[in-house]
Formats: sequence, structure tokens, C-alpha cells
Amino acid sequence: MSSLVYFLKQSIQGFARNLSTTLGSIITIFLSLFIIGLFLVGALVIDNIVKSVENEVSITAYVKDGAKEKDLEKVQEFIKGLDGVSSVSFTTKDEALEEFRNMSSNADIVEELGGNPLPASINIELSNPQQVQEVATEIQNSKLFAKVADDKDPAKSLKYGQRTVERLFQVTNYLRYGGIVLIGLLVFIALVFINNTIRLAIMARRKEIAIMRLVGASNGFIRGPFLMEGALHAIIGAALAIGCIELVRRFALPQLQSSLAFLPIGVESRMFIIIYLVLLAAGLVIGLIGSAFAMRRYLKV
Amino acid sequence: MTEATNHGARSAELSMALPVLEPEDMPQQGAPVISFDRVSKVYPAQPNRPALDNISLQIYPGEFVFLVGHSGSGKSTLVRLIIRELRPTSGTITIANEDLNSMRNWRVPYLRRNIGCVFQDFKLLPNKTVFDNVAFALEVIGKSRSIVRTQVPEVLRLVGLQDKLDKMPDQLSGGEAQRVSIARAIVNRPPLLVCDEPTGNLDPQTSRGIMDLLERINRTGTTVLVATHDREMVDNMRRRVIALERGHLTRDQQRGVYGFDV
Repeated sequence: MSSLVYFLKQSIQGFARNLSTTLGSIITIFLSLFIIGLFLVGALVIDNIVKSVENEVSITAYVKDGAKEKDLEKVQEFIKGLDGVSSVSFTTKDEALEEFRNMSSNADIVEELGGNPLPASINIELSNPQQVQEVATEIQNSKLFAKVADDKDPAKSLKYGQRTVERLFQVTNYLRYGGIVLIGLLVFIALVFINNTIRLAIMARRKEIAIMRLVGASNGFIRGPFLMEGALHAIIGAALAIGCIELVRRFALPQLQSSLAFLPIGVESRMFIIIYLVLLAAGLVIGLIGSAFAMRRYLKV
Repeated sequence: MTEATNHGARSAELSMALPVLEPEDMPQQGAPVISFDRVSKVYPAQPNRPALDNISLQIYPGEFVFLVGHSGSGKSTLVRLIIRELRPTSGTITIANEDLNSMRNWRVPYLRRNIGCVFQDFKLLPNKTVFDNVAFALEVIGKSRSIVRTQVPEVLRLVGLQDKLDKMPDQLSGGEAQRVSIARAIVNRPPLLVCDEPTGNLDPQTSRGIMDLLERINRTGTTVLVATHDREMVDNMRRRVIALERGHLTRDQQRGVYGFDV
């Protein structure tokens, strides 16, 4: 216990001794943890968005004009019976036109064409978005659907959001890899900074260390202050990063939410607590490894 | 608590007239404190010229031994081998029945707690007072504050610096600084005190004072090994002399003299 107090005293003295490098290592730890934290929050937000997009994945099956009512009913029955389908609805040609008029800015184009060029369609909602491919294949291969399909090739009469989701995943994957590389670089820089700070602390106390060895101070006792110093840098850096992310949560996220109201980006506060704990732990690991590394090189005991 | 009272008794005894023991009264029995068995040390920089060549010697508890030789004869190497700052190229060194070759690294600090060390350059911390310099040696081996408060003034009284507790090292004369470093070496009451050129930086009169102090410490039962090239001192004191010449042990003599022609 008394030696813990001694370590603490020594490491605080170390702070004062090399104020500029100490600040440098605290700031690099802070920045890398802050960015790690931002990426974690961002990952959670994107995860939420992806989930909500996935929920909206549905299959649209276009039907040719003049398909028999009976056949259509049979197809709908068949689709309803498929695994992973939650609901099936029918859009008539008129409804499709109406929708198009509402969506499109130059709806007059339809008038020019004369008649209604839009096909009727069956809309299929899925209970499990992962199954979209399988459901689509089954519909495509069924003879029932071939009879009513808008195009000769049933595959071309099916439209579903598979590719959108895939692209979204791809983008988030790139972001994730980019983030990992950036975080790796920052962690490396933080390690170098801590290594350097602790090296200076060791140099400054060289004489003391020589005497400590001479009179038989144990290795742990000699190393303690430097490990403590690295850990203190890490804790201060982590505290700053946590403070900044808390600010982001309080002020920036609600703003983002109100400007992107159609996307659900709210993240549970429980997740934030986990993020903060992760940041603190990551900071401690960086701090301790950085100072352990410096000691291996400059503090032969 | 018992340690403190023990200690009090011991220092009272010290401050009284000590019983004078003649060198031949010194017991040469029991297990040796230091034992070298065919020890050689070759530095990588000089592979053809061993710093120590096939040295065997025994030093028994309570002895006062001079280690003499010119510069470069291997005195300092021998001292550094004893505190395991260096490891021998071949041969075995045994300190208090412990083989330094097979000793684990983490045990080394505990070995050093049993060996007081004094060097030519004092090795005092310039930003600490005399008291703090001596207290430091106790603090870093985890002694409690009450032990520090009782033992430090006592040992400083023993070396005659009871009035200089609050002085900084740069306010001390060379002799006083060396007394502080001796105080630091013995404050933990090691059974063995090793001095490497303790009077190398001091004038003859001050050196005599230091040697008297070392002799007094020896009379309390501490084994003392002094590496020196101070001819006058060795010749006056007539203690056991071990002479080294270019890494060879050339002479080991009870009540010896310095004996080199310089």
C-alpha cells in the first residue's frame, strides 16, 4: 500500500519533470481513443440503419397485362405458403400509375404515352430479410408464376432490394477496414509517444535507479513508478476521450437525428457505457504496453 | 519493535569504548561469506586478456580484507562479480552459501540487500538531503517509516554526521560525502560491506578517518572487503591482503602489506 502511494508520488513528479512530452502522450492517447470511440458509435448507428433498411427489403413480382384472375390468386396463395414470407399484397395497374404520378416529378409523361404502360405487381414482404434470395428463386422457378410473369423470363419480372443491401454492406465494410487501419496507426503513434515519455522519465531518474539497484530495491519497485506513469497518462487520455464522446452524444447526435429524421440513429445509453469501458480498458492496455516496452529497452534490471 | 530495541542496544554499545580485537582473534571458521572457485571473467571487448583469470579465494565472516592491485588489475571486476552486476565467464561464486550462477534474476535484489556497497564517487543523489539519501536506501526496500525514522539518525551518528542531517550533498566535504555513502551502505545492517576505492578521491588524513570508520564497522561483526590502491593505508593497518595483478591472484597474506613497487 505504501509503495503504491510512493509510485503515485513518483509518477506525478515525472509529469512535472517532462510536462511537454507528458502532454504529448496524453493528447495522442486521447485522440486515438476519441476516434476509436467515434468509430464505435458510428458502427452502432450504421448497424441500426442497416437493420432498418433490411426490414424494408421486399420482393416485387411484376405481372403481365391480362393475366387471369384465377392464376393470380393461385400465385399469391403459393407465395404466401413460402418460408420467410410475412405478407403478400397486390397492386393493380391503376394503383401503380397513381403511385408513379405521386413519386415522379414529370408525371405528364404518362399522359403523352397514352394508356397505362405500368404493369400490375405482387408485393411480397419478408419476415427474414436474409432469405430474400431463396424466396426469389422459388418464385422464379415456379410454373405458376411463369404463367403470369410480365416478361417471358420470370427472373426479369422479379425485383428485390438484395443489391442495395449488399452495396450498403460493402460500404460499411470499407468504412470498417478504413477505421481499423486509422485506429491501428493512432494506437501505434500513441505507443511511440508513451514509449518516448517513459524513456525520458527513466533517463531523468537514471542515478536514482542505479542506487535503487545497488541497495537491493526489487525489480517491481523500480518499475512501479514508470508503469504507474504510463497508466496515468492512459487514464487521463481516456477520461478526456470519454468526456468528448459524451458531449457528442448529448449535443451532436440529437442534431443529426433531427436532420435525418427518416433514419433511426438513436443508440441506447447502455451501449455508451460499454463503449466507455472499452475505451478505458484500451487506454490502459496502450499505456501499460507503451511503458513496458520502454522499460524493456531502457531499464535493464 | 524488537528490531528497534535490539538496534538501540547495539548502537549504545557502539558509542561506548569497543572491545579491541586483534586480527588474529578473528575467527576463520564456519562457512565463508565469499567464495570464489576458479573464477574467470573475460570481457567481450578483450577476448585475449581476461580481466580475472582462474581466481579462487575464501573470505570468512568477520574478516577485514584489502584487495590491492594497480588500475586494471581486476579489482573492480571482482567487486562487481560479488554483487552480481557481472557474471563470471567460468567458475562459481558463492555468497553466504548461495551460488550466484544458479541464482534467479529476481533474487538478485535480495542478495544486494545483504551487501553494502561503497564507491569512489559516493553515488549520492544531489537533490536529496543527507537524511533523505540514507533514508532512500530503506524506503526502496519497503521499510516502514518508523524504521526509517529511528535507524537513519542512528547510523548517521555512527558515522559522525549527526549534525548534518539537513545538508545537501554539495554542501559536504569529500570525506563527509563518503561517510554518508557508508551510512547508506550499512543502514540496512548487511553482514557484508564491499568498498571499491572508498578513499580514491580523498586526502590522506580524511582517508584515515574513513578507514577508522570501516574498522569500527568491522568490529561489530560485519565482514569488510576494501578494494584499494592506497599503499599507506594497507601498510598501516596490517590486515589480510589479497593482491591482483593483471587478473591473476598473486598473493593472499594475513597481516600483509601493499607490496607493489610503484
